[in-house]
Amino acid sequence: MSELGLGDIAGSAGDRGAERRAQPSHRKLLKSKGSRREDRAAYAFLLPWFIGMAVFTLGPILASLYLSFTDYTLLSPPEWVGLDNFQRMLDDTRLHKSLVVTFEYVFVSVPLQLSLALALAMLLNRGVRGLAFYRSVYYLPSLLAGSVSIAILWRQIFGGDGLVNQLLDVVGIEGTSWIANPDTALGTLVVLNAWTFGAPMVIFLAGLRQIPASYYEAASVDGAGPVSRFFRITLPLLTPIIFFNVVLQMIDAFQNFTQAFVVSGGKGGPVDSTLVYTLYLYDRGFGSFEMGYASALAWVLLVIIAVLTGVNFLFAKKWVFYGD
Amino acid sequence: MRNTRLAAALVAGAALLAAAGCGGDSGGGSGDGPVEIRFSWWGNNDRAETTKKVIAAFEAKNPGIKVTGDFADFNAYFDKLATEVASGRGPDVITLGGAYPREYGGRGALLDLSRVSGELETDKIDPAALGNGKFDDKQFGVPTGVNAPVIIADPVVFQKAGVPLPDDATWTWDDFVRIATDVAKKSPKGTYGVADPTKSDTLDVFSRQRGEGLYTPDGKLGISKQTLVDWWTLTTKLRDAGASPPAATTAELAGQPSPEQTLIGRGLAGMQVDWSNQLGALRKASGHPLKLLRYPGESSAQQKGMWLQASQVYTINAKSKHPKEAAKLLDFLVNSEEAGKLILTDRGIPANPDVLEAILPSLNEDQKAQAEFIDAATPTMGPPLVIGPEGSTDTPDILTRLNDEVLFNRKTPDAAADEFVKQVEAAIQ
Repeated sequence: MSELGLGDIAGSAGDRGAERRAQPSHRKLLKSKGSRREDRAAYAFLLPWFIGMAVFTLGPILASLYLSFTDYTLLSPPEWVGLDNFQRMLDDTRLHKSLVVTFEYVFVSVPLQLSLALALAMLLNRGVRGLAFYRSVYYLPSLLAGSVSIAILWRQIFGGDGLVNQLLDVVGIEGTSWIANPDTALGTLVVLNAWTFGAPMVIFLAGLRQIPASYYEAASVDGAGPVSRFFRITLPLLTPIIFFNVVLQMIDAFQNFTQAFVVSGGKGGPVDSTLVYTLYLYDRGFGSFEMGYASALAWVLLVIIAVLTGVNFLFAKKWVFYGD
Repeated sequence: MRNTRLAAALVAGAALLAAAGCGGDSGGGSGDGPVEIRFSWWGNNDRAETTKKVIAAFEAKNPGIKVTGDFADFNAYFDKLATEVASGRGPDVITLGGAYPREYGGRGALLDLSRVSGELETDKIDPAALGNGKFDDKQFGVPTGVNAPVIIADPVVFQKAGVPLPDDATWTWDDFVRIATDVAKKSPKGTYGVADPTKSDTLDVFSRQRGEGLYTPDGKLGISKQTLVDWWTLTTKLRDAGASPPAATTAELAGQPSPEQTLIGRGLAGMQVDWSNQLGALRKASGHPLKLLRYPGESSAQQKGMWLQASQVYTINAKSKHPKEAAKLLDFLVNSEEAGKLILTDRGIPANPDVLEAILPSLNEDQKAQAEFIDAATPTMGPPLVIGPEGSTDTPDILTRLNDEVLFNRKTPDAAADEFVKQVEAAIQ
């Protein structure tokens, strides 16, 4: 997708660095006797990725910025059309529909996924035996869910003759094809995303472990029950982690492509009910050869994500508690 | 010290890899080695196996040419092709069909075949089919074979339901609805009279019977709103009677184009609209002796709705570095008995009569049925099909979306017809 300028956002959403950044207090320790030679070696090691970034990410991003002001049908050279592409978005009813679908998807699936992640992290934090094993097991879906094979599996499970309907059949309920019903199709994608709670769960788990046990002991002595301990100690002290997860998962959810593409058979159907933004973008670019318009759409998505992330940070001051 | 040296080596290695990734074709390949060309098509594994044999036969005859095959299923094929052609690295020989030759040719992506007439002969090919690869007075493609839109019926499903097969010489659309309903009622749950018949080809047949046609020869939308309303009134009647499956099943099937996943391919429908060359694949999938029927309403129509057309069209990429070799392959595919005997009727009944004659003895029952049907139906075919203009490859998707809205009762046939006219007109400008 990097031709469409999506590569940049995809890069920033990588979960890999998450665990490291979740612990800001360790950052200062590093700058002690780092010699210049080591610095140079570090940069040398980083160089291939810098080059890759410039060639394979930055280049396409700039190209797509240019293309967003052109009419480009792939087979003939791009033609400058100024702001036409952006103007067209105002009247594009399918785009409006896809925005509604995308926002629905993001604002339902992210809270659902994070609640699940937090619930499981709390469960695992109670000193379960074989914690490492469970942690890996629950993390597994996060690694797999982006893959085409899981999406195909999803299609099977929620299809007309799928596992879900077979189970419903046992208890005497006749199900429809969940992926092909406009009322439920998006729901299957939401469930798929919620199922990938593993990555935020691991981060929550790390966060939970940083809360000193003495707080809970003190609270217990004062007679606080589990509910008030959760709301008065765990939740406030965990807000930086929650904030971090919300930002990351929201950015991620806005860019859902593979799952929606495979589950909907590539068209965002039925009746555009799973037409998430990136799918519509792809449809314009590769389905109808409107690369100029698709590039403009990619930039608008970037702006939407940037603005919402900005809003997130703005509101963070009101509810995130850094403990200092 | 060792660390920095190692780092430098790693960096150099990575840079080399990156450079290799960008640089690819520096040489141009005009040396003595074999010329490499790429050939792309869509279809299932059976077709791929056959085509690989054809390629091997071609390479044996032309030792200087190496052919790489490239295939995907129908839905994925065109997305991939668009990207490849746009990047200037498209296949040399490209299989296209329907409105795609015009879509690509009109944008300058296809080679004018008169430039390789030395390697490629077309004078034996059936002129009507050849016409499907010609526009703006240039021959851009050669038909792989001849094909017709048909109704495919499953005699086993009919027999189990105790319903006689329709007489396709006289049946009307009312008969079609009645028979489909009858089959569904007398079959076990989950078996239908007909899979939802709404496809752009069906709309073409239906509107041609009323003297219209999906597109006009000057590249405009030809079908009238009333015809669309009547069509959707008919299909909603089928759905309400249980003759065709519920909306959700139809919507799910739309995302599964391969013969093995269709209702009739699974023995779950009495009838299905399709193309005549699908008979073999569908028979194999269902294990039933499926039959080809003419469309309903032909005998009483203003004008015959059915037509013969090139099932697929072979074209050559305008940017091919080896147009002569590509033309040789194309010539081998359509004019050689050797290739014909391998491909048989998988890409339609061969449009070169010599090839058809040569393969007749080796045809199996399915393929003979197909050849006989085409032979018998040829005299009663309507005028040649008007191929859609540039942008019309969007029509099937627009139709699927609106059809789903109609079947899910989110739009009335009337509103959907308005919307169809509006959206298709916007797509073809």
